[in-house]
Amino acid sequence: MKIDFKVNGRDYSLEVREDMRLLDFLREELKLTGTKEGCGEGECGACTVIIDGKAVNSCLVLVPEIDGREVITVEGLERDGRLHPLQESFIEKGAVQCGFCTPGMLMSAKALLDGNADPSDEEIMEAIEGNLCRCTGYYKIVQAIRDAAGKLRNGKA
Amino acid sequence: MLSNVKEYFRPKTVEEAFEMMEADREHSIFLSGGTIVALMGSSRIERIIDLKSLRLDSVSIKEDEIVVGATTTVEAFRKDPLMRKEFGDFFYDSFSLVGSWQIRNMATIGGSIAPKLGWSDVSACLLATGAGLMVYGPDGYRRIMLSDYFALPAGEKPLITHIIIKKDGWVSAFEKFSKTTFDIATVNVAISVRPERGRIKAARVVCGSRPQYPMRFETIENALEELEINDVMPSIVRSLVFDNFTGGSNMLASFEYRKHLASVMAQKAAEKIKEMVR
Ligand SMILES: Cc1cc2nc3c(=O)[nH]c(=O)nc-3n(C[C@H](O)[C@H](O)[C@H](O)COP(=O)(O)OP(=O)(O)OC[C@H]3O[C@@H](n4cnc5c(N)ncnc54)[C@H](O)[C@@H]3O)c2cc1C
Ligand code: FES
Ligand code: FES
Repeated sequence: MKIDFKVNGRDYSLEVREDMRLLDFLREELKLTGTKEGCGEGECGACTVIIDGKAVNSCLVLVPEIDGREVITVEGLERDGRLHPLQESFIEKGAVQCGFCTPGMLMSAKALLDGNADPSDEEIMEAIEGNLCRCTGYYKIVQAIRDAAGKLRNGKA
Repeated sequence: MLSNVKEYFRPKTVEEAFEMMEADREHSIFLSGGTIVALMGSSRIERIIDLKSLRLDSVSIKEDEIVVGATTTVEAFRKDPLMRKEFGDFFYDSFSLVGSWQIRNMATIGGSIAPKLGWSDVSACLLATGAGLMVYGPDGYRRIMLSDYFALPAGEKPLITHIIIKKDGWVSAFEKFSKTTFDIATVNVAISVRPERGRIKAARVVCGSRPQYPMRFETIENALEELEINDVMPSIVRSLVFDNFTGGSNMLASFEYRKHLASVMAQKAAEKIKEMVR
């Protein structure tokens, strides 16, 4: 079937398989391999993308569901070769170890900060509750999101 | 994973959606939030009927009832200003325990009820509030109680269009026991009471993940009538749940463990109710 959608600001109009997961479509058809597959069943958050402003698990979305909608993946964060403040803060605060969870973490964090410029630590933790990290212990991730929120508020984006 | 889907429909009306289902029920499935549908490993499904274009995604008030469209997401429902105004923190807090933020952004209220999932925190809480459903079937629209929906014969699968909750001044509390914060419940308990002059005038006591679908326990509800809401009330609730709990064993828990947990969760919920009423 044919669907029209936007990914990272770019318009697409493509024939898609009715039963393909968005995760596979992004990785295999659009070659956007930043989005990762951990569990494939909604448990780990590695596949998190933003659809129409909401953080969702792309392993639980079928491609036809994005018809007429806008998707943002981790590749959509940087602007003109410059990292997004969230990406900068993750590096600066040591919030990345093996990095497998990072794309999903960043997308949950972006969805949070887009709707809440000054989140409390509790709100940050709620936003990343569906993103598992086996390496960092989460502390530095929370710090990085708080730091990025500050940068964005101060216009250092 | 689904592997044999040939058609994907986006009906604009409830009637159209139901007709599409009736045309080939064996090979068709409704999709609402899609969190169950996307995980199905079935080659039987050839037709997906996406309900999102039905515009059933809002919460409104009609006289003394809150009417919730079936495709409203769990997150939109719990954060809806009307729900917060009419039900305080009950749904806001209880549904924060449903999956993760991402899951709640996808899973819908109708999609949580329809498959009669044993562990559904959504179903347990709605049962405790005495919720009703508007459903569409071969004879058109009809209104039924959620408890009656669970008892429908397996072959009867109407389309849920709305969930209806009365604003009737009952006080509700929910407790869930699960292995991790966003795991499904090993057991969950939702209790609502109608307080009057410091006593319980009527009660609804629901246990879910028994592991079968959530159920009201009328023996317990009857025993609670006229009970004084004081410091011993929660331990009475605990004993009643322990003595009357019915359910079974599965890989999450044995019957005995569940029964114990259910009684503890019930005591905690009753404690919350006591604090709210006082
Ligand atoms: C990792 C994970 C963790 C979860 N944790 C929890 C938890 O802790 N607590 C909890 O309560 N839930 C939890 N859930 C959610 C729950 O298990 C279901 O996934 C969810 O409620 C289904 O909603 P949906 O809108 O996505 O349904 P869908 O997948 O769209 O549909 C589910 C079924 O219902 C049918 N259906 C949908 N809408 C209708 C309708 N309006 N009328 C008739 N039939 C319909 C569909 O045909 C399908 O058979 C979790 C889910 C996942 C994936
Ligand atoms: S891969 Fe989607 S949640 Fe784990
Ligand atoms: S950095 Fe390794 S899983 Fe998070």
